Amino acid sequence: MTLTRETPPRPADLLDALRETVVGQTAVLEALVEVLIAGGHVVLEGPPGLAKTLACRALASAVGGNFKRVQFTPDLLPSDIVGTRIFDQRSGDFTTALGPIFANVVLADEINRAPAKVQSALLEAMQEGQVTIGPHTLPLPDPFVVTATMNPLDSEGTYALPLAQLDRFMVKILVDYPSKEEELLILQRYGGEQPAMPAGIVAIDDILRWRHEARAVYVEPRLADYAVALVAATRSGHDYLERGASPRATLALVALARARAFVDGRTFVVPDDIRACSAAVLRHRIALNYRALAERIDPEAIVAAIVGAVGTP
Amino acid sequence: MVSVITIGAKAKAAAHALRCAVTLGALVPAFFPSAAVAQVLQRLHVRTFTLGADRYAARAGEELHFTVAVHVDERVARIDNLALPDLSGFEVDGDERRCAPGGRGGTDCTEVLLVTSSTSGQWSIGPATLDAIDARNGRPSRFGSNRITVRILGKPILESDSAHDVERIALQAIVVAASAAVPILAALWLLRATRRRAPVPVAVVPPPPLAPTAPAVDPLDELVHRLREHPSRERVNQVRNELRRRLRAREEETLEDLLKRDSVRRNPSLADALRAVEHAAFVEDDRIVAAVGRALPPLERLTSFDPIGAGR
Repeated sequence: MTLTRETPPRPADLLDALRETVVGQTAVLEALVEVLIAGGHVVLEGPPGLAKTLACRALASAVGGNFKRVQFTPDLLPSDIVGTRIFDQRSGDFTTALGPIFANVVLADEINRAPAKVQSALLEAMQEGQVTIGPHTLPLPDPFVVTATMNPLDSEGTYALPLAQLDRFMVKILVDYPSKEEELLILQRYGGEQPAMPAGIVAIDDILRWRHEARAVYVEPRLADYAVALVAATRSGHDYLERGASPRATLALVALARARAFVDGRTFVVPDDIRACSAAVLRHRIALNYRALAERIDPEAIVAAIVGAVGTP
Repeated sequence: MVSVITIGAKAKAAAHALRCAVTLGALVPAFFPSAAVAQVLQRLHVRTFTLGADRYAARAGEELHFTVAVHVDERVARIDNLALPDLSGFEVDGDERRCAPGGRGGTDCTEVLLVTSSTSGQWSIGPATLDAIDARNGRPSRFGSNRITVRILGKPILESDSAHDVERIALQAIVVAASAAVPILAALWLLRATRRRAPVPVAVVPPPPLAPTAPAVDPLDELVHRLREHPSRERVNQVRNELRRRLRAREEETLEDLLKRDSVRRNPSLADALRAVEHAAFVEDDRIVAAVGRALPPLERLTSFDPIGAGR
């Protein structure tokens, strides 16, 4: 699908293009577009084979940006992520080889398979927006989105991401199996053939312009109070929580709600925007206590109960 | 008038029976103090506790369903120490209580009461109460639901702000009847008196006409009228709050929740009004006037008296 450039593209055009490539997974596609506009990063958690990589590649292709995939393994080194200095024997000088992190969309596949040092290198780059290699500090491209995947099924050979590092991701999306109808459509569309990638849907400049407009989306004071109340509810002595979300969650919640309103074509946020984004923003920022683990309490149930208990404006 | 007193007697008997049952129930711990101690309170995370009705206005004699709903985080087979609200003025024709696992874990318990009332008026009902140990702090607590207001139509409206008093309404009926009879009796006495005296023409004073009762002003109509006169965020919020109040919206329910209700989905005007008012409530300051302009047409299409959410 390719759009003409007579009218400026809208986020809905980007979403439509992604839906032509990826069957189902509506929550994933909407989160990718909203996080791209909000300027954050996303964690996708789900079993293998659910189009997580395909969605990220489609996004990068649709925005005309660079896409790099990094498979995280236990023997990965930080320089494999950010780059390194290489000695050129012919010139007798060192040159800088940029790592795969220098891309618009970076897919960090199975991020929990790499040791903490490698995770830190990536996360530090996400936080700072720049990388230091030898004597040089190099800015990362703009826009820059990291989509990390985690497989919930494997426990051996994995290094759990600490809460402080997970906090750097704006949202965590749970990727689930497609419905029967969606799976039949996948079979019809892609049985034997590689899916076609969208191209030229939006330009990098469009993304930057959308970001600027999304930041200007109006948030009525009651909605700011609502966002603060939602995040604060995770800290107020909950029976099953060891620790609640930080103010970074509040910032992420409002930024994402703005992006959601912008994608919906509005210049103002409504309570449903805040509530719709709350689970994705909070689920990876809360720490369950021993009692919750012992009673096998579903973290999703805790987040849903917290969100359901806070009064809306 | 006679029918009011007759039916009132039945309701009076029902209210008296209920009061006896409550009194007996209250006396049990006094005679058997160990019973009160032995009545162990459940330890519960009470998440929601609501009182609602399928309709908030009905004709006398029509059935209504009152629902008490509780959601707790624990998996329990039943909820103990749940006290129903005082239903004086209503006859309870059916009562069904059940508990089922909640969709998000925990337990949902509901008690549905089938009631009728033969006496017109406006009844404030509730709250229902639940005695339990609050699992959040370990303290014995009494949880209370919301109150609801129900209007029974079909007879001359006798406004009542508090719980129904059958004797008081019967007395009022007698006073009204007496007030109407006095001028008639006075006219008859005057007529007899003129027959005994000399035939002096006496003007027969007709009984004063009953003052017409002013039609009840629907609060929503009034708020929409005020919004039209002066579109402001404050007045938009008043309309929004009134719509939510009529729908018995819980605090945690958003517009999307309300739009999913059957009663709203079946009423496109109501759905349009809710959406438009929601936008006007949260739009930028300099766009409020335009947003109110878009909200007024669907608001004005809403019927002035129709219990919103009554399944129209």
